Amino acid sequence: MKTGQSEHETGNVLICALCTILVVSIIGSAVLLNCTTRYNVVANQVQSWKAALTAAEAGGDIAYSEVRKTVFDPTHAFSGWSVLGAVHTGSVVSLVNNALSTSSTVDNFYNDPTTGNAWYRIRSKGTATVPGLRRTGMDDRMLTGARGDSLLRKIDFQYDHFVATYGLNGDNIGLALVPVSGPQITRRIELIAAPITPFEAAVKCSTAFYGPGSAGWTDSYNSKNGPYYFAANNPADPHYNDARSGSVEVGGPNFTLGGTIYGNVSTNGGNVTPSSNIQGVIDNNVPFTIPPYVMPTNLPLPQPLPVAVIGDVTVNPLVAGSPTTPNFYLLSSFTGHLKINQAGSAQTYVAIHVTSDIIGSIDIAPGVHAQIFFDGNISLKAGDITNESGLAGNLQFYGISPLDPSVTQSISIDPPGNFAATFYAPSADYHMNGNPDVTGAVVCKTFYGNGNTTWHYDRALATLGDAVDYRIASYVEDTR
Amino acid sequence: MKLSNRRNTHGFTLAELALAIGIGSLVLGAILSSSIALLKALNAVDNYFGTQMQQIRIIDYLNRDVKRGLSVITSADLQSVTITIPNYIIQAGDPEAIANPSLVGTSRTPTISNTPSGPQVNYGSSTTTVVYSISGSSILRTENGAVTTIASSTDQLVPQTTDVELSNTEYTNTSISFLPIFTSGNLPAERTGTTLFSTAYLRNKRRG
Repeated sequence: MKTGQSEHETGNVLICALCTILVVSIIGSAVLLNCTTRYNVVANQVQSWKAALTAAEAGGDIAYSEVRKTVFDPTHAFSGWSVLGAVHTGSVVSLVNNALSTSSTVDNFYNDPTTGNAWYRIRSKGTATVPGLRRTGMDDRMLTGARGDSLLRKIDFQYDHFVATYGLNGDNIGLALVPVSGPQITRRIELIAAPITPFEAAVKCSTAFYGPGSAGWTDSYNSKNGPYYFAANNPADPHYNDARSGSVEVGGPNFTLGGTIYGNVSTNGGNVTPSSNIQGVIDNNVPFTIPPYVMPTNLPLPQPLPVAVIGDVTVNPLVAGSPTTPNFYLLSSFTGHLKINQAGSAQTYVAIHVTSDIIGSIDIAPGVHAQIFFDGNISLKAGDITNESGLAGNLQFYGISPLDPSVTQSISIDPPGNFAATFYAPSADYHMNGNPDVTGAVVCKTFYGNGNTTWHYDRALATLGDAVDYRIASYVEDTR
Repeated sequence: MKLSNRRNTHGFTLAELALAIGIGSLVLGAILSSSIALLKALNAVDNYFGTQMQQIRIIDYLNRDVKRGLSVITSADLQSVTITIPNYIIQAGDPEAIANPSLVGTSRTPTISNTPSGPQVNYGSSTTTVVYSISGSSILRTENGAVTTIASSTDQLVPQTTDVELSNTEYTNTSISFLPIFTSGNLPAERTGTTLFSTAYLRNKRRG
């Protein structure tokens, strides 16, 4: 039997095995190091950075919905939010098993001097946790002189850098070293919610548009420049640009045109094609909805008289009032003739709530700014509407939407006559017969004009009227 | 019993030695070439993902600025983008900072002005201009004249941005491609296969 063993051979195998393991381990660790770095950046840091913005925008949307409630549901606006001075602060909302959180503040930073409408500033911050250890760094590997991710994605590994550098509210007050519970990214945005005034187009209807007749047209002017005259076909006219804003906006696909529109046309899914009858931009992909209109709750108590307009009734306000505190009247019936005079020679503000149909006539003196809120329908001749100033913004009709959304109001204007007024009635079918010459704007459910109406939108209307909704007018990210 | 403890005292023959050296050289060559290939592959993959991260960084920088932008203009060759953004932060030298130096670095309260196209939100009397451009193998971001290299690669990163302006909204389409260092013949598909696409809307020009 041979039992001879070579000890040298045994030793070589061990050394070779160890060397192989060492080489493989070095290669493996190098690969793992690269993979971990890339994984941390791509899968964790980039993802969290984007998620933080999503959270901040979600917080902005939450605050925006509260701002809109100031119009649609004022009694519940900012319900549950804390108030300190003029700033409303919402509670922190956590999402996705606390991996995301958002909080926002809202303050009324500006009031329109003409309408009194409030503008709101929304500040929202979103925070996303970053998976991984605190000691995980950022990947700044680039060529010499270049900056990597750390300049873009500011990750708080140990402390909240924003509070430490700029203070809790970013105003250099209250700088503090605040530890964070784990690596996180916070992004901050600031939104400005601007009031939408009722009359931003000549005609805005949520479902269908028909008209005007082939000899009719829709154009515009600006009453701040003087009375209306036709300038939409004369590029040399100094008011040419003001003359081509007779826009029509339809929230559905139904659009039928006979005459000419000197302005833009937009539909939601319509098939409007360029033609000589449309002297503006066409966009068939503009969806919108017009929310129901509710009676404002911020009006003062009604005056004792009158309580109805039956026969001839004259209103002589004792005080001029203001856009936010007008002389307010509550009428149960409107079948007669109503004349509204100024309080002396002052610009006089009047608001009337008619709880029934309007089938009478109205005459407002120059210098009177009247808002007529109606619960029922309107059936008038164009000549029954007398606005002595000729400024459409001085006579505004508002249709209060029925509680039952299946109920449609009706506004019917018959010949003869012309008028200057505005109608905001999102739940109403607007019918106009004959060939009236109209100065103003209308917001309705459907628009039907079967005659050769000439409709002149007053661009000064764009900044008049109570807020009917809010839109986000500005978006800024605080990149500090 | 005789225990065998005989040591092999014979040497290798020349043929055996030559054969052993030959086989050893082959094995060593295989190991060396494999190692080099492995290192090149590791380098190529590392470079690929490193460049891809730079693609993501460029897109993230650009989208952040486009989202908060007031206007975007792209050059004819689509490789330079100029973005105007609100002056949200008070900088040294701004009128507010001159009046009160402690305001430097803080945010502005916006003001509202009426323009022919309607009310407008303003952050200060001026705006900030950000320009994205290519310089050699680097992608530069220049904010009010201050240049930052946000990406740099020898792999010919090529960003292209298209600005699409509709009646009442605006967005940008961006694509960024690069040529991996592990190529076989510089085929066009090797570059297009790395393309990263992105679309960002200007939040300050939205519908509705």
